[in-house]
Amino acid sequence: MSGQGTEFLRFTGHRSFAHRLVLSTLTGRPVHISKIRSSSPTHPGLAPHEVSFLRLLEAVTNGSSMEISYSGTTITYHPGLITGTVAGAGATWTGDVIEHVIPANCNRGITYFLLPLALLAPFSKSHMNVRFSGPGVITSATATGDPSVDTFRTAVLPLYNLFGIPAVRIELRVLSRSCAGPGGRGGGGVVELRFASQVRLPKTLHLNRRPGRVRRIRGVAYCTGVSASNNARMIHAAREVLNPLVPDIHVAAQYDQAPLVQVGTDKNQKKRTGIGFGLSLVAESSATGVLYSADEVSPPQGGVVPEDIGKRCAYQLLEVISQGGCVTGLSAPTVLTLMAMGSEDVGRLRLGRDVVGREETIGLARDLKTFKASTWGIRDADEDDSGDVIISVKGTGVGNVGRKTA
Amino acid sequence: AKALHGKRRPFRAADLARFMYDDSLAPRDALKKWRGEDDEEEEQEENIEDEDDDGFFRKVNEDTVDDIESEDRPIPRFDYEDLAAKWSQEDSIETLRTRFATANLLDEQEG
Repeated sequence: MSGQGTEFLRFTGHRSFAHRLVLSTLTGRPVHISKIRSSSPTHPGLAPHEVSFLRLLEAVTNGSSMEISYSGTTITYHPGLITGTVAGAGATWTGDVIEHVIPANCNRGITYFLLPLALLAPFSKSHMNVRFSGPGVITSATATGDPSVDTFRTAVLPLYNLFGIPAVRIELRVLSRSCAGPGGRGGGGVVELRFASQVRLPKTLHLNRRPGRVRRIRGVAYCTGVSASNNARMIHAAREVLNPLVPDIHVAAQYDQAPLVQVGTDKNQKKRTGIGFGLSLVAESSATGVLYSADEVSPPQGGVVPEDIGKRCAYQLLEVISQGGCVTGLSAPTVLTLMAMGSEDVGRLRLGRDVVGREETIGLARDLKTFKASTWGIRDADEDDSGDVIISVKGTGVGNVGRKTA
Repeated sequence: AKALHGKRRPFRAADLARFMYDDSLAPRDALKKWRGEDDEEEEQEENIEDEDDDGFFRKVNEDTVDDIESEDRPIPRFDYEDLAAKWSQEDSIETLRTRFATANLLDEQEG
C-alpha cells in the first residue's frame, strides 16, 4: 500500500489520538502520527487504551493496516472500510456482536472507546454491535476525565437524532457496572453498544437559536460494591444545590455488586474490583437537543464522602449550564465532526465562549482542516449579550461509502 | 480613545478565526491571545530557552511536564473549591436563573 506513493497526513503528539484516527477512517486518508509521548521519561509511546482502540478499529473495519514503531512513538495508519459487525470478519465471535476485550492496565473509562466508535457507527456498512468486556472496562466516570456510560447514553446519543440518525435504534446495554479499580486502572464492567441506524449521509443541523431554558434534570447515581445508601446521600446533596432552580429533578439509583475479575491466568482465582460510587446528571432544556451534563465519581483511592460527590456534580452542572451554548464541551467534538462529515450544507451551531475556547476545540478545527474539511465560519451571536459564538460548518458530504450505491 | 485602541477587545469572533487556523500558534497560545492575556507572558517563555542544558541530564522544563500530564479530557478539571464558592453566592444563582424554566418571564421581553 505505502509503495504507491500514498500521501500521509502528518500529526505529532498524543492529543486527540482517537479522534484523529476516526477522522482518518471516515475520510479514508492515511495518517502518520509521530512523537507520541516521546518526551515522557516513564511512559513513552502509545498508552494501553490507545493500543486497545487501534485493535477496536481493526475489528470494525476491513482492510485497515497499521504500523507502530519499535518504541511506540510513531504510528502509520491506513484506514479500511467501516464494515461494522459482518459475518466472517471481526474479533472474537459470540452471536452477532464483536467482542472487544480491554486489558487490565487501561485507565480510561469505556466512553473513551464509545465516543469515537459511535462516530464511526452511522457510516458503517452494517450494524455496529460491539461488546466491551475484560478486566479493563470502567463504566463509571473516571479521574482521567471520561464521562460515565449513563452520561453517554442520556446526553450524547440523543444528539444523533438531530442528524437524522434515529437514536431509537441505538442501544447501549450496561450488562455489568464497574468503577475504576485500584490505582485508577481496570474494572470489570460489560457494556454492549448496538448501533443499528446506519445512514447514507447525515443531515446537518441548525442549533443557532437561543439554547432555551433548563426544564428538568435527570440523572443516575451508581454504587458498585459499596453500601447503596451512598446513592441516597449523593442525590440528597445534589438536590440541595439544584432544587431552588429546578423543581423537576429525578435521579435514579443504581446499586450493583462489585464485578469479579480473573486474577492472572488461573481461571479459579478471581477478585472483586471496581469499587466506588458516582453521579451523572443531565439537564434538559426546553429547546430540542440541548442537553447539559455533569459527571463526578469517587476517586479510586477513596476518601471522599458521597455528599461531596453529589455537591460537586451539581456545581459542575451549574457551571456547564452557565457556559451556555447549545452543546457542551463533552459533545461538541461529536456534533462538529458529524456536521463536517455530513451533507454538503452549511449547518450552524451555537457554542458557549468557554466551549469554543478549549484547546480541544481549537485542535479539532485544525484537524478537520487538515483532513480537507472546510474551515469554520465564526461569528458572534448578536441577538443577546450572552457572548456565545455561532460556528457554521459546511459538510464535506463524505457520507457512508458502504451505502453509496444503495 | 487611543487607550481603547491600544488593547484589543478580547473574545472577538473575528480574532478567533484568525488565531484558530494559524498553525504557528499552539492551541493554548491561540486561546491566550483570544482572551487577551498574552501580553506579559511572552517574555517569560524566552527565559526558558536561555538556560543551557548541561550534560546528559536535561532539565525537563515545565511545559513538557505539562504536556505529558495533559491527556485528552472530555470533562475538564474543575476546581471545586472555586465552584462551591461561586455557586453558593446568591448573585450567581440569580444570574443563572434566567437559564431555567423557573425564571420569572415577565421581567424580560424574550422567552
